[in-house]
Amino acid sequence: MTASRGFAETLAKVKPEAEKLMAQYPQKRSALLSILHAFQNAEGWVSPEALAAAAEMLELPVSVVESTASFYTLFFRRPVGQYVLQVCRNLSCQLNGAEEIMAYCREKLNVRHFETTYDGLFSYEEVECLAACDRAPCMQVNLEFVYDLTREKIDEILRAMSAGNFEVAPLPQTAKPDVTWFVAHEGEKKSPGAQGVSSPNDPGGIGDPSGRQMVERIVRDPRLVEARPTAERLVRDGAARLEAGAEH
Amino acid sequence: MPVSKVLTRGIGQVDLRDLKVYRRRGGYRQWKRVITELQPAEVVDLVSKSNLRGRGGAGFPTGRKWGFLPNNGRPRYMVCNSDEAEPGTFKDRMLIEETPHQVIEGMLIGAYAIGAKQAFIYIRGEFKRGYEVFTKALADARDAGLIGEQLFGTEHGVEITIHRGAGAYICGEETALLNSLEGKRGEPRLKPPFPAIKGLYDEPTVVNNVETLAFLPYILKNGPEWFAQIGPPKSPGLKVVSVSGHVKKPGNFEVALGTTLRKLLALAGGPRDGRKIIAVQPGGGSSACLFEEHLDLSYDFDTMAANGTMLGSGAVVFFDDTTDFVKAAHALVRFFAHESCGQCTPCREGGHWLEVTLERILHGGGLDSDIDMLVAVARQLTGINLCPLGDSIEPFLASVVKRFESQFRGYVRKRAIAV
Repeated sequence: MTASRGFAETLAKVKPEAEKLMAQYPQKRSALLSILHAFQNAEGWVSPEALAAAAEMLELPVSVVESTASFYTLFFRRPVGQYVLQVCRNLSCQLNGAEEIMAYCREKLNVRHFETTYDGLFSYEEVECLAACDRAPCMQVNLEFVYDLTREKIDEILRAMSAGNFEVAPLPQTAKPDVTWFVAHEGEKKSPGAQGVSSPNDPGGIGDPSGRQMVERIVRDPRLVEARPTAERLVRDGAARLEAGAEH
Repeated sequence: MPVSKVLTRGIGQVDLRDLKVYRRRGGYRQWKRVITELQPAEVVDLVSKSNLRGRGGAGFPTGRKWGFLPNNGRPRYMVCNSDEAEPGTFKDRMLIEETPHQVIEGMLIGAYAIGAKQAFIYIRGEFKRGYEVFTKALADARDAGLIGEQLFGTEHGVEITIHRGAGAYICGEETALLNSLEGKRGEPRLKPPFPAIKGLYDEPTVVNNVETLAFLPYILKNGPEWFAQIGPPKSPGLKVVSVSGHVKKPGNFEVALGTTLRKLLALAGGPRDGRKIIAVQPGGGSSACLFEEHLDLSYDFDTMAANGTMLGSGAVVFFDDTTDFVKAAHALVRFFAHESCGQCTPCREGGHWLEVTLERILHGGGLDSDIDMLVAVARQLTGINLCPLGDSIEPFLASVVKRFESQFRGYVRKRAIAV
């Protein structure tokens, strides 16, 4: 992981804000989410240094802060692009053509869900309902809404972002982003089954009973990215079962 | 009888974010009246009489919820739930962004009624603009002496703190919200004890939806009888309904409960040209689908429940005859699988495997037996989790599999022919 530059500067900026936030609550731990937001606003992501600093301010173990941060999808625990495009994939947007919009974004940016472009400019994610169903399909760019998406509109906003004259400000970028900012950890939120390993009976093998290392490897290794979607595998399994007459 | 709108009146015409504009239209007068003239118990009584039921999803009577707080002399908290994330719902975001002051006034009145000196509003992390608008409105109201200690020359006061979420649907569940507000992972708690007994910091707490609280100033202004006589007696009042899907003019519509689904469809501009509505999901992603023969049903809590679905958060999604219900079911199942907090095995694993099975069907690898399995697994997930998230998968899935089974079978057959 790339270390972020000048964390001392960030901390000096965030600390007074954090003190104010902590004073708002009867118990200071309540300020945890707000403090992490403050760090992310300053750094563009929540670095390990930020997690440690938040833990110190709140007098909590770093593991507790990290565990809490990992629960929430809006905290980026690895560097992301300057523009984070979060396209809604939920029902009302789907009924109004979100699938085509997502396919177009992926093609145009040459990325998949949870990936950042090589120039570090765009991160792309497919997210759940953004509460803008009346203007579907929609997305958020750095949490600002862009409504009524069409191919032309996407061309237009991507052009504006590349040219640096888009209406939404870019995120600060204190470290170079990797291919993905997705972090998979053992025991975090979901079981191995839910983290993209195709069967709980088929995890990573000896020394990796929960499949954690396998998931990490799949996520990190660009050569293995092709193996990530479960769909191909499912089709193969289904076909094999049909051929074996499993159904009858 | 024509019913005039209250919560959405003026939106799009005047800038209700401006404190001066809001006050000129009678804003904060009820708050002043409540704090200077009424006892908390009187406010609870008025709200109980209005028969206001919670607008967040469960439809629980607000006055009764307030009545559960024990008289134990402990500090109490009022929490406004603005973690709106139910698929199809976009009313709270509008209220926060367009008319923050009526939400603040409602929170103040609610806090006073339950004897809370501190209120919190939990704003969904994605609502960055809503957060900014609300922060400004709160500062303006504080400067005007409407929030804080010893207000209007009385010894009473209420402080309001904004808490910003960070992306988790489950934090809309009240005990998960309280954990998140305490700076923890947003995992639902075991109930009982309910928040009224042990809520935020283990103290008595009330969690109310944005829309519920926003109605309070108007109930006090116009009297509980005004609210109670709108719509069906057991499910009265106005409701902001979010209409989306295959309609010409989707949007938020404030209507009297008891309006028909067909009327809501008409308000939203009707179906797209040359298309016909064949199904409607009346209460957000967690509710079962209704169909064309149900369009004349009255849209209220009890009628929806009697027809095997729910009014929920008031998110109505219409589907026309072009809909691929396998894809629609996949989108919602994937949503619940994604948003499961992971505490309860049935919800965490069941949701995931349902998603994977639907993916298999969509990619042509499905088997006929998968379709029955979907419904069976979804049913087995219900009623055995800490919170209702796991239970939310079955209603839509089971209702569309039953009605549009041929679409699901079609995907399976396509594969069989290809092989």
